[in-house]
Amino acid sequence: MTHDKVTLPAEVRTDFGKGAARTARREFKIPAVIYGHGAEPMHILLPAQETTLAVRVSNALLTIDVDGETHLALVKDIQRHALRQTVDHIDLLTVKKGEKVTVDVSVHIEGEVAPGAVLDVDHYTVSLEADATNLPEQVTVNVDGREVGNHVLASDLVLPNGASLLIEADTVIATVDEPKVQDLGTTEEAAETVAAEGAPAAAASAE
Amino acid sequence: MLIPRRVKFRKQHHPSRTGTASGGTTVSFGDYGIQALTPAYVTNRQIEAARIAMTRHIKRGGKVWINIYPDRPLTKKPAETRMGSGKGSPEWWVANVKPGRVLFELSGVTDEVAREALRLAIHKLPLKARIVRREGGE
Repeated sequence: MTHDKVTLPAEVRTDFGKGAARTARREFKIPAVIYGHGAEPMHILLPAQETTLAVRVSNALLTIDVDGETHLALVKDIQRHALRQTVDHIDLLTVKKGEKVTVDVSVHIEGEVAPGAVLDVDHYTVSLEADATNLPEQVTVNVDGREVGNHVLASDLVLPNGASLLIEADTVIATVDEPKVQDLGTTEEAAETVAAEGAPAAAASAE
Repeated sequence: MLIPRRVKFRKQHHPSRTGTASGGTTVSFGDYGIQALTPAYVTNRQIEAARIAMTRHIKRGGKVWINIYPDRPLTKKPAETRMGSGKGSPEWWVANVKPGRVLFELSGVTDEVAREALRLAIHKLPLKARIVRREGGE
């Protein structure tokens, strides 16, 4: 449940702007910012390889070592490159041991619903308040054998010790539904023709 | 087929094809998605063909999201017409897709069925694409 704390060495960032940020990324460093507890935000550079591995878990808790001064920080936001999926920038929120923090935790669904039914998930994440040093990676809910018309509510989620939900207990997380009949077009031939033709005139109705 | 109900101007300039997608780059609604790797104008017919290919494969049970909308008209001059005499007439409705954009999403089916459905859908699209999963999904 809890993540092992990872210590990352950091250096203070002195050059700003996209040019400096790109130079840093070329040198395998990730620009980041640490803020929280009313202190002035601190701009830093983190080592790319270690940081990327450390932030693979959700809500990772990191110890940042900036020139001998350590900060306990929670990953608040990650900006990734749309195609390469590399980390472009990280927002870190300083926390203290024993402090309660608000985090979004993913919902893990276990089991299979009744045969012939499908599960329609409304909320893939839920907001929780938990101890900063004891954050859950996910919350689980069992949907085994649930029949059509059944709802999975926030109150059904199994929460770890010390965590509390920040949403109403009767919030619908998922619904067990009948499979909907999809519109498959006219005939198979027509569908093939549509794909083959590419794009004949279709603007008449908008004129 | 997707088509705007009403437009302010019938003819537009060509949409910009440069750059990468600035939003809609993650799987937001379903469990699996198709992410564009190259820029393209995707017509409403191609979107419909991809949707049909996907829903035909998953049969009953899954849920499909279409994250793009063909809101840009492209014009064409008739064949064997001399240049000039104004802009041609609207011929296609396209979505301007840039690399990184998640075009379709899918949920409620097994991993194997989802990947095959999305593979079939990719073949109906005029771009290179890859199958992506929800961040944090198993």
